[in-house]
Amino acid sequence: MTNDVAVGHFEIVNNLGLHARAATKLVQLASTFGCEIEIAREGQKANAKSVMGVLLLCGAKGTVVDVVARGPSSEEAVRAIGHLIASKFGESA
Amino acid sequence: MIGAKGRRGSGTMSVVDRVTSTSERPPRPVILKGIAGSHGLAIGPSIIVGALSHSFVRRTVKPREVDIELGRFADAVSRAQEGIRQVVEKVKSGHAKAETSILEAYVQMLGDELVAEGVERNIRINRQNAEWAVSNTIQELCDRFEDMEDPYLVERRHDVAFVGERLIRALSGTDKVAALPKLARPSVVLAHDLSPADTAALVKEPVVAIITEVGTRTSHTSIMARALEIPAVVGVADALGRIGPGDIVIVDGFRGEVTVAPTPDMIAEAEARARKHIALVRHLREDRDKQTATADGVAVHLRANIEFPAEAPLAVDHGAEGIGLYRTEFLYVDRAAPPDEDEQYEVYRAVVETMHPRPATLRTFDIGGDKFVSTFQVPPEMNPALGLRAVRLALSRPDVFLAQLRAMVRASAHGELRIMIPMIASLREFEEVRRLLGVALREVAARGQKHAPTIPLGVMIEVPGAAVMADLFAREADFLSLGTNDLVQYALAIDRTSRSLAYLASPFDPAILRLIVTSVTAAQRYDRPISVCGAMASDPLAAVLLVGLGVRELSMEAAAIPEIKEALHRVSLVEAEAVAAEALRQESAEDVERALAAAFAPRLFDLLADAAGETTT
Repeated sequence: MTNDVAVGHFEIVNNLGLHARAATKLVQLASTFGCEIEIAREGQKANAKSVMGVLLLCGAKGTVVDVVARGPSSEEAVRAIGHLIASKFGESA
Repeated sequence: MIGAKGRRGSGTMSVVDRVTSTSERPPRPVILKGIAGSHGLAIGPSIIVGALSHSFVRRTVKPREVDIELGRFADAVSRAQEGIRQVVEKVKSGHAKAETSILEAYVQMLGDELVAEGVERNIRINRQNAEWAVSNTIQELCDRFEDMEDPYLVERRHDVAFVGERLIRALSGTDKVAALPKLARPSVVLAHDLSPADTAALVKEPVVAIITEVGTRTSHTSIMARALEIPAVVGVADALGRIGPGDIVIVDGFRGEVTVAPTPDMIAEAEARARKHIALVRHLREDRDKQTATADGVAVHLRANIEFPAEAPLAVDHGAEGIGLYRTEFLYVDRAAPPDEDEQYEVYRAVVETMHPRPATLRTFDIGGDKFVSTFQVPPEMNPALGLRAVRLALSRPDVFLAQLRAMVRASAHGELRIMIPMIASLREFEEVRRLLGVALREVAARGQKHAPTIPLGVMIEVPGAAVMADLFAREADFLSLGTNDLVQYALAIDRTSRSLAYLASPFDPAILRLIVTSVTAAQRYDRPISVCGAMASDPLAAVLLVGLGVRELSMEAAAIPEIKEALHRVSLVEAEAVAAEALRQESAEDVERALAAAFAPRLFDLLADAAGETTT
């Protein structure tokens, strides 16, 4: 495997932002991928596999986060995370 | 509710059970005041839960011990995660359908890289033993959350602290199943606070009552205790400082009182009350499915007040003929932003489906602007009770209000849903809400989503002005509901949270009775249902009085329904009307109560003992 790097920019669209439930879902999803995934907002970075790190990013509704994945299946990881964010973390049916 | 309920199995909770011969001389009984979190009465020795977090050893480790400490930490993480997962399974399989997402967040947090890296650094570089390393790392993380601006994130420090406590318990082995057989005898659990996981784990323990230092009637501990039917007194200041492990305590979940070191007489009296309560509950449960009626056969409808969807099955279980008041504002509090339409729809739908074919009355949010931290930017008010709250707040933010109305409209497809508006003061407000409900109906229909053909829209009569003008509201609205708690506060100008004035705030005040009569007469004239949903409805004497005044629908906390049903069953309408007429001739609340007590107390005394201390709001 090469060290593929994939990048995505996503706007947080659910009302609650990256609160505990959303952060948990994001981390659960990120943890299913073997690659390293970093999520950043305004220069602040967190490991997408750390709930506390994601919470401390303070991603309210309307903020844009950068997702950077390095390693195997990085593209799939970024796509899946983008999909989760766009689907409002399943909060809406 | 003395004694265990035959629960078994293993828990994740660690427990200190120092069974001591308390002291040399008999201690004096002490009564501690708290909040009645869950009804019932129990006597037992106390067991202190969750007091372990400060008692680990801080030790500097030798270089060759570093790997051992790292291994202990890794083991502790998996054990703590496993413990929480077991609780998740338990909760998911339980009937209460409690929220498990916070527990799943705990599982993630236990394995969080920020924790693991910090702990590893403290062990490797600072040569701290695992417990110490965890404690320091958690403290740093708590500080980071505490420094956040968002109040929601600041509150998450409690979750981080909880995770740290779990890890330290796992490290010290106090989370093991082996700690539990000590709970061989029924015990009273005493804690500063109980996390959702702790409270859920109590299901497996022979716990007869719960005492916590923090909490309110609506906090998680109280709700779980009510669901489990364990008496609880919460908000007992300094309970851990005043109750020792193994001390015998009486937990009075009716009055919100804890008696420490009771005298034999006090124990005998409490046991008698507890036995009577159990017998009464059993007897009343048997009558659950019987229609409520007075001794001369006049039907009265008893419904339940609820705050959380999980209470709906309990309402059915207690024989409620529907939900008379669902306080939807509890969906909005303690969170960063209001729930969106879909989330609300799912919650309302669950309540409506549970109650079907009984009616479910959903009250639109009744809350002041100060509670919606991030939704409404409302400046603090000098007098929030008279400020921008309830329907006033709703009409000031039609976007938020419409989302709630649409969710209710969609839920109406699944059963008998009714909508009730809080704190209506003028007909103009009612007309505006009716217009918005029409908008919500059209929007939902335009999306092709289902809804009931008509949704009854009613008003709360709790502003004295609305009671005076009740004929107008009865003409326009589909039903009326008297909120006696606020009616008393506004009509008598007594802040309902004031303890020093509490003795004056009586729903038996003749002024309140006259406002009730005005409202009931208006409702009868236009043939509209009128109910009473304040604390008054759950007091046996007051319930009899209300029926005498013409009220045929009462809504109260589900647990009170069997007692009120029994009270009404013992009194005929003729008698109730005669006493109501006499009550209306009285000059003070005391005189009214005296007249009622003289007429009915001898017949209802066994029910009144339990009603004492009822402080439902």
